[in-house]
Amino acid sequence: MNRNSIGWIVFVAVASVILVAAPYMARRAGISHDIQKPDALTGKPAPAFDLPSLDGKTVRLSDFKGKTVLLNFWATWCQPCRVEMSWFDEFQKKYGSEGLQVVGITTQDDSSRSQIANFADEVGAHYTILVGTNSVSVAYGGIPLLPSTIYVNRDGQVVSRVYGLKSRSEIEDDIKLALGHSRVPHK
Amino acid sequence: MTSSWLWATRGFLTSSREARHLSELCWLSVIPQGLIAMMNQLTAGLLLLTLAAPTVGQEITGSSGPSVRLVPPGITTVTRGKAGGVPLQFRIGRGFHINSNTPKSEFLIPTILKLDATTDIVVGQVAYPKGEERSFPFSPDEKLSVYTGDFALTVTVRPLHSVVPGKYMLRGQLKYQACDNAACYPPKQLPVSFEIKVAKDATRQGRNPAQSPHVHQ
Repeated sequence: MNRNSIGWIVFVAVASVILVAAPYMARRAGISHDIQKPDALTGKPAPAFDLPSLDGKTVRLSDFKGKTVLLNFWATWCQPCRVEMSWFDEFQKKYGSEGLQVVGITTQDDSSRSQIANFADEVGAHYTILVGTNSVSVAYGGIPLLPSTIYVNRDGQVVSRVYGLKSRSEIEDDIKLALGHSRVPHK
Repeated sequence: MTSSWLWATRGFLTSSREARHLSELCWLSVIPQGLIAMMNQLTAGLLLLTLAAPTVGQEITGSSGPSVRLVPPGITTVTRGKAGGVPLQFRIGRGFHINSNTPKSEFLIPTILKLDATTDIVVGQVAYPKGEERSFPFSPDEKLSVYTGDFALTVTVRPLHSVVPGKYMLRGQLKYQACDNAACYPPKQLPVSFEIKVAKDATRQGRNPAQSPHVHQ
């Protein structure tokens, strides 16, 4: 057995260990969701919903027909959600005229609406906030972690889903993509 | 990514050529050329795999959650009629944190141990450790009070005088809410159970059992 053969055997062995261990290591490090990945919803029509807003009105997804909708699932106990909610408010102001509609959906059923309203007010989220239900979460493929954001284009189709907090610029790129900006964002 | 990898590889190969050149000049000459070539192949391949490995990890998006578990406790002996502390140690999976019992915001969910009521063993206060004050990438300017790694609680229990000495199982739930550096997971309840051994109070021995009709041994 020559040296080249030995080298290849060692290489294959080490490579196998890296490939097998990579998912485990990523999971252990808690970074497994730090990636935007197409899921079963992407490219399909966004599931319809009608949910109560904080002021008691019923809001339907169809109310935003023709708009680009950023659906953000959040909760008051989610600190990363707090960070991006203030950005969403800025983006609503910046891109609202282009047809962006930010909609926050709380996943809590045990909090009073006043507490949810206080939280939204504290973080400066002045866009539409709805009180979610389990059936809506299930319709959107389950919400295993927060924040979870779904981008819906003007045709009502899901463009992408993002788990976890992203940087401000990444979120803005995703918004531009959903709005149909021609410039491809840098990921 | 591709271009940066190419640049890295190019740099590496250049260095390899330099190393070969050097080996002809100095002590590296003791290493056979074939071995150097083999190591070059290995290193280049592993560099490529190291870059590819995170991509494999991406495929498990959202498939895992935080793990919090009770480290199997030993049996604590508690004297009948007296209060005793039972230490319970919990272990949080690496990369995750949970709120302490006293988080810094009213919106955050505190870690709470609730034990089921028993008839003969009074469950008293639970002593929680002080939270670790840490800031996280999602909010670098704010410090949260959290538990990470291992943390220990102490449960105070007091078996009544009427309890028959022996082993007793206590059950309850640890309510917690976990996050990592970029996301949070829904609140969970971890079932908790542990045994205590109730012993006789030595100072009460020798009394006439007839004076204590509620004692049933």
